[in-house]
Amino acid sequence: MMNRLAVAVALAGLGTLPANAQTAGDPIRPLVILAQPQAAAPQEYQAAEMVAEAWKSLGLRVTVRPLPGQQFNQIVWFERQRWDTTTWQMVGRAERSDPDELTYNLFVSANIANGYNLVGLNSPAYDKLAQAQREELDLTKRQGLIHEIQEVINQEQPYGFMVHPKNLVAYNKAVWDESSMVDQAGIGIRNFWTWIALKPKGAQKDVILNSVAPPTNLSPFNIPGAQGSWATELVWDRLMRIGPDGLPRPWAAESVTRPTPTIVDVVLKSGMKWHDGKPVTIEDAVFSLEAPGYADKSPMYRPFVGNIEKVETTGPMSLRITLKRPDAAFLVSSLSKLNLAPKHIWAPIFENLKGKPETAESVMEQPVPIGSGPFKFVSVKLTEQIVLEANPDHWAKPSVNRWIMRIAPNIEATLGALKSGEINFLTDYTGDPELLANLPKSSPNIALSSSLDIGFKFIAYNERRPPFNDVAFRRSISAAIDREALAADAFGGAAVPANSWVSPALAFWAAPGIDKKVPGGTLEAAKKMLKDAGYVLVGDRLHYPAGVKETTPVFQ
Amino acid sequence: MARHLLGRLGHLLLVLWVVSGLTFVLFRLMPGDPTLNFISPTFSEETRAALLKSFGLDRSIWQQYLSWMGNLLQGELGQSFLQGKKVSVLLAEALPNTVILTLVSLCAAYAFGIVAGAFLAFRRGGVVEAMAIPSALATRAAPEFWLGMLLLAALAFQAGWFPTGGALSPGEQPGTIGAMLISRDYWWHLALPALTLMLYLQGLPLLLMRATMLEVLNDEFIVMARMKGLSRWSIVMRHAARNALLPVVTAFALGLGASMGGNVVVETVFAWPGVGRLLVQAVQSADYPLAQGAFLLIAAVLVTMNSLADLAYAALDPRVAIGMKR
Repeated sequence: MMNRLAVAVALAGLGTLPANAQTAGDPIRPLVILAQPQAAAPQEYQAAEMVAEAWKSLGLRVTVRPLPGQQFNQIVWFERQRWDTTTWQMVGRAERSDPDELTYNLFVSANIANGYNLVGLNSPAYDKLAQAQREELDLTKRQGLIHEIQEVINQEQPYGFMVHPKNLVAYNKAVWDESSMVDQAGIGIRNFWTWIALKPKGAQKDVILNSVAPPTNLSPFNIPGAQGSWATELVWDRLMRIGPDGLPRPWAAESVTRPTPTIVDVVLKSGMKWHDGKPVTIEDAVFSLEAPGYADKSPMYRPFVGNIEKVETTGPMSLRITLKRPDAAFLVSSLSKLNLAPKHIWAPIFENLKGKPETAESVMEQPVPIGSGPFKFVSVKLTEQIVLEANPDHWAKPSVNRWIMRIAPNIEATLGALKSGEINFLTDYTGDPELLANLPKSSPNIALSSSLDIGFKFIAYNERRPPFNDVAFRRSISAAIDREALAADAFGGAAVPANSWVSPALAFWAAPGIDKKVPGGTLEAAKKMLKDAGYVLVGDRLHYPAGVKETTPVFQ
Repeated sequence: MARHLLGRLGHLLLVLWVVSGLTFVLFRLMPGDPTLNFISPTFSEETRAALLKSFGLDRSIWQQYLSWMGNLLQGELGQSFLQGKKVSVLLAEALPNTVILTLVSLCAAYAFGIVAGAFLAFRRGGVVEAMAIPSALATRAAPEFWLGMLLLAALAFQAGWFPTGGALSPGEQPGTIGAMLISRDYWWHLALPALTLMLYLQGLPLLLMRATMLEVLNDEFIVMARMKGLSRWSIVMRHAARNALLPVVTAFALGLGASMGGNVVVETVFAWPGVGRLLVQAVQSADYPLAQGAFLLIAAVLVTMNSLADLAYAALDPRVAIGMKR
């Protein structure tokens, strides 16, 4: 009796379905946006919630699923068939002043299986342009290629680009001369050039800055995360550095020239010394370029020498690098990235590592690491503080006495430390931007510097899982995102809308007006685009186009 | 007695073996691995494989376990994946800070709790008791981070009497433990975290002492002491308090062990460089050797304190000692 009743009710229900239900495919399964927990990344979490609300108004069932850091990374990186969408970010680094690193690695099809092409975008047109810009040494032509490639991504919409954040750095202007701050394009005032140019106003000559997270092992062959890099780039010189203008310039090199697309000639500056007093020689420079390639002993730095065919000395202070292929970004991605390491210390270490599983990355020189840079190590306690002192023998000797990085996880306490003068630079801030913006009003000695970052925050769409494999669907859900609202509300005004991985901070490379060119661009347009692509709204639920079955499991 | 001690030692080693096995397995069951700390656009499968190999994580879990146990039997805890230093060195650097923080706050909490508890037992039913008990309960119930932030806001941010974190002023070098202990700067930095922990911990000894004293004061031997005409001081201190101290001593020993691991919150709020903070960072970054070493150390302290509590019981209560000799 009950069964008959159920059948009757079901049939009656069918009779009342809207007409378009009969031309619709299956309802789209509930979608999930992965995010770090609100406590860990409050702004990104709120942004994900806002995006979820926008997508709900398209008829999608969407939830934001917070996951602890390790689990989050594990799923996004290693379980690529499993997730629908995820929040993610690329942080600004000096070497990303050239767009090649992100352009090549984020979207080329070679990186779908294991590399950074997390979304699985497979676009032959993109691959061709990405390789072409890498080999184009004419700056104007390369700029055109980078602009063109951004338009390809604008049409593909593999990400829902959200914002380019602003760098907020607060400092004590009673201690430091404001005019000595150097604003590096896309990085802000927390950069190498500020630390060596900084002028004290009075007796306090120690730079005391903060880091929320501890860096990893400090070695010339290890990439110790963002905060650790602030210290390592001061201690180890590089042949070139990214200047405040965002372009590479000779640093430990007297000159760098490129007589042909695959030849780079370097003349080393004379008179340089390691912190232990020994001279920096051309053999040290050759060793520093070759060592990262030694049999898996420097896995993180190895990609930066992957294109080097050979390095040979051409004089007492000069060397020649022969590349396997032309590489437009070589000066930025390799010569401005590789640290000069003392051969007399590291050659025996590499020798000792032969036949062992350990790498040079895990070796910590004792008692402190030796470099040749404008600062030298005094003491290193990775969970407490890193103390550097100015190197009086360096040609770019800083005006400050010491550079001290305090590691403190409690950001509220660190704000208090800035006000009380315990620290004089707030360089790592993960709290509410509005709170920081108001700080100069209550503490007149505090100045705030805000500048646009090279990095960006986004929601990645996994093209391995329908409906994200449909470009029309991706464009529609991207159009539904109100980026202005995200920048203003979720990111507290400390961000600008994004629609590209190339930040407007890199004015030369950013495609003009790209942030306004999201196809459709509004919620209403998004609804129309979905309708035009065959997606059907049945009641308040979005369905696939007619004939399309939902076969993808819901993320669990 | 010797047999009892040997039994205790065997028990202690068994517990540590189980704990070491559990921590070994648990960390490897957690999602992710240490290579996730190094993800970047240039991170490749080859990079990951090389890193896993260098960490010894390319071997089977049994091989890893046998290697870990073999090293452990030789007193070797391995090398931190991320800090490039021996775990034993890192723990040895952090342990004194945790021990000092724990001992100072626990001793202060128990000294205050015992005296205040005994006093409240005597003054039962008064206004003081009516105010003191809810206060003790409130500080006991308050989350440590909240208490810590409150003290930071009042005594560091507003009054400026204490620093906001760390164990020494920026740029100061810790030196030896002896140098640290006579350093004014060190004690100045210790004050707020110790006060937070002390306020959090004092509720238990206070309430325990009061409750036990109330019970003991009704015992027949106290009535007998009164009948003998002993002074009030003598009755309280020599007779009542000694008996009432038994559970408080147990709580102290257990509290010492528990606080070693439970200082995680206070150490994080005040950036105090102790074992708890090291443990949090190790867990967050999947630094297995460091996390395993820190857990093992905390477990070792906890079970050792349990054993010491047993022995202290025997010293304070002859009945327990007789039981051991049988």
